[in-house]
Amino acid sequence: MSRPDHIAASGPGRLYRGQTAIDFFGRRMIGAALAAIVVVVTIGSLLVQGLNLGLDFEGGQAWDVPANDSFDVSDAEQVLDDNGISITGSKIQRRESTGDESDAIVSVQIEEVSEEQAETLTQAFADASGSTVNDVGFSFTSSSWGSEITEKALRALVIFLIIVAIFISIRFEWRMAVAALAAMAHDVLFAVGIYTVFQFEVTPATVIAFLTILGYSLYDTIVVFDRVQENEGKYASVRMPYADVVNISMNQVLMRSINTSISSLLPVASLLLIGSGLLGAVTLREFALALLVGMISGIYSSIFVAAPLLATLRANTGRASRRERLTGEDLRAAVIGAGVTGRVVDSSTPTADDDDGSTLAARSRPKRDDGDDSDLVKTAAVHQPAEKILSHPPRPRKKKRR
Amino acid sequence: MTRRLWVSLIATTLLVVIAFGSNVSTGNNPKLGLDLQGGASVILEPVESGATSEDLVVVRSLIRDELERTGIAEPDVRVQGATIVVDLPGVKDTQEALDSVDVSGIVELRPVVNFFECNTGAEPTDGVSIDPNATPAAGTLGLEVPDAESVKRRSAPDDTAPDTDTAPDTDTEPDTDTEPDTDTEPVETDEPVEPADDEPAGDEPVDDVLTDDVLADLLPDDDAPIVPDLSAATLNGNELLISRDGEPLCVGPAQGSGEVFERQSATVAINNGFEVSVELRAGQGEATWNNLSAQCFSGAATCPIQGVGNGARGRLAIVLDDVIQSAPSVNQPAFNGAVSITGQFDQSEAQDLANILNRGAFPVEMEAQEARTVSASAGGDSLRAAIIAGLLGVALVLTFLLFYYRWIALVILSGLTIWGLTVYSAAAFVSGATNYSLSLAGVTGIIVAVGVTVDSYVVFFERMKDEIRNGRTLKNAAPRSFKMTWRTIWSADLVSVIGAAILFWLSVGSVRGFALFLGITTLCDLFVCYFFTRPAVLLLARSKFMQGRRAFGLEVAS
Repeated sequence: MSRPDHIAASGPGRLYRGQTAIDFFGRRMIGAALAAIVVVVTIGSLLVQGLNLGLDFEGGQAWDVPANDSFDVSDAEQVLDDNGISITGSKIQRRESTGDESDAIVSVQIEEVSEEQAETLTQAFADASGSTVNDVGFSFTSSSWGSEITEKALRALVIFLIIVAIFISIRFEWRMAVAALAAMAHDVLFAVGIYTVFQFEVTPATVIAFLTILGYSLYDTIVVFDRVQENEGKYASVRMPYADVVNISMNQVLMRSINTSISSLLPVASLLLIGSGLLGAVTLREFALALLVGMISGIYSSIFVAAPLLATLRANTGRASRRERLTGEDLRAAVIGAGVTGRVVDSSTPTADDDDGSTLAARSRPKRDDGDDSDLVKTAAVHQPAEKILSHPPRPRKKKRR
Repeated sequence: MTRRLWVSLIATTLLVVIAFGSNVSTGNNPKLGLDLQGGASVILEPVESGATSEDLVVVRSLIRDELERTGIAEPDVRVQGATIVVDLPGVKDTQEALDSVDVSGIVELRPVVNFFECNTGAEPTDGVSIDPNATPAAGTLGLEVPDAESVKRRSAPDDTAPDTDTAPDTDTEPDTDTEPDTDTEPVETDEPVEPADDEPAGDEPVDDVLTDDVLADLLPDDDAPIVPDLSAATLNGNELLISRDGEPLCVGPAQGSGEVFERQSATVAINNGFEVSVELRAGQGEATWNNLSAQCFSGAATCPIQGVGNGARGRLAIVLDDVIQSAPSVNQPAFNGAVSITGQFDQSEAQDLANILNRGAFPVEMEAQEARTVSASAGGDSLRAAIIAGLLGVALVLTFLLFYYRWIALVILSGLTIWGLTVYSAAAFVSGATNYSLSLAGVTGIIVAVGVTVDSYVVFFERMKDEIRNGRTLKNAAPRSFKMTWRTIWSADLVSVIGAAILFWLSVGSVRGFALFLGITTLCDLFVCYFFTRPAVLLLARSKFMQGRRAFGLEVAS
């Protein structure tokens, strides 16, 4: 079949071979606009309607219904369902003394409902369990997730974010820390936004889902930034515009991002569709939905939010670059590992180690000819023998040009 | 080189399989949370009626903290009606549940009436069995001696505020002259200033110091001749109680409870030895405390001076569950805002005392009424559904990867299996050792972690694809790619581990449980990646098996 370096004709083929040349940086405004929408909608909705906090946060009402042969947990669920109360946010448990079935009770906790509805429910429980209203214990319950848990968690989170920012600043650089945290905030806001806009009930599991999203987002962004940093070193001597480095890196990690997304999302989608859909485990539904949304957002944001933001932050640093950003075929050439040198390489003279046909590929490509060939410092993207570029940064130039 | 790779591969596989096998065969499974497996439920009621719902909410928080502190993870504590319901995950024995929630005794403040016996009633006594040199009871005296000596050197007869001289009123730092009884030095530094000390300054000591007489170190080991007469227990509401150090003290009726202290304000500091500081609750709390401290300082009938000499003061016992936790002597008549207790504690003793002062803030005493078992709250099918759906999802992922990466995806298959077994063993070990249980959120968290784990393979293989596309042989590409991949993976995983560690240390409840399992899965990922995936891929890449096969659907240079 084809040579490994043959540029595939179809889009998916190029994607599979890592030969894409998408100008992510050029499309950064789309990412920014979408991110802005997410932030505005979420914050707006939070201000207007807030979050629908569940039983564990706000407390509610509880019934202790005597259990017997004809009344158990599933019957209690049925009663709630008949009265139009969501089982997702309720806790239904069977309580009994050890080894003593006779005094077993079914305890039902639900979010606070109106007084009339509570009375209706008391009656319904009494009827369903074959007892009288007096046998059904009714009381109000407090939250079990007190404010001090939230406070401690928030404090821990703030410290975590500070340390992560310091870590990224040391391991990479501070602008990457800013970009990574911005992307992370975007993802968490997105997930929270889904909850506030659709008024899904927030349970402790939801909080865990948000934290999972937060961790996943940071992870994904760091994997992407690691490639950016690597490429930065590789192109250090050619005065590559930072946007190009970012673009090249994004295209190089694109396949990885897609594969990882599929691998991460399939189990969660399966939880959502099969677990809560087919198998009817309703408690899984909103949790899996939050995760799914957050993870999609995490993958999206590492490429469309974090990376362009990083490029923007870096735009005016360092030495001014010598040329316009690479696009189209030039970008593709850079992406597939051909080096970008500062010189126009005479394509008619094959380089010494032209043994894998890469120069051939470069020659067969229509050369960009926009009339400023006279400018000798213009940088052209050319295929170089890949081994030279792939794992080592180019040797520093020995003498000053011109 | 090849040999080392084989050793790593085989050792890791064996280790993981054996760990898993032994866990399964001994029935050491990860504990499941309340929502998945249920547990035990204890209902607590206030001992006396009249507790307000605010009181109960406060007690709820305190019980939660106390349970977490004693190592019971993720309890579900809530106020229900006029009771408090405590659900404990993973506990099946109701008696065990009752024992573990018995944390709600209240701390009492009782003036010390007498040392060793209660016969003398409430009358002030001048030092029992004063015999400056001999007898085991000299323990008391031994304790008092340095104090008495130092006091002799003091010229001011009316040193009501021995420690305000060096502390400006606005100074909130602990004083340096904390005057532990056995240490005369700080007292000496006091001396030059002492006479000049005037009363107004003594009225507003900002930093207030008690000294805790720790007798244990001073008492001779053979205190056999002294047998406290515990039968003469109650007289005028006085009781003979034993302190944690084994010191028998006769204490008067409780004149205050731990409520005088600000909630959760007790801290341990190092200041000339360990020091426990606690804030007084403004208003009622401070008034109650100062009323007590004034009695003890001046040696009123209710709180007579213990020991001899000018510096000897009455002592105030902090009592919990009829055990004297500490009985410091009171060095000032009035305290402003905060109290600090010094003495010869080691760090754990000081921490214990701080914990007791903190939990002492129970506004009402609670009593466990009954314990019952509870069923899973998420519905019995949830776990099964989560596992079935999760496994199906993972199977889909593997099918996709097999299709995408062809032969080399076999490594992912075996690597994920090894990872899964490792996580299982680690979860079983951790939940056995720490009480943390796997909730539904935890199970789904692990399913999400599958994605992150697969990512390390994807990063690795995509990198290899790059290298191969650029003309490397498979054998050559593998080690180079791993080097770059490892860098990426540990950077990204380290962030997760840092996050897990911080959330684990600083937060409580289910957030903590989440952090624990995030940490476990991430560390397992790093472990499997380095000790299994690396040798597996490197060996596969150089094996004859892979030669001539299209590893990534790309033609591999040979």
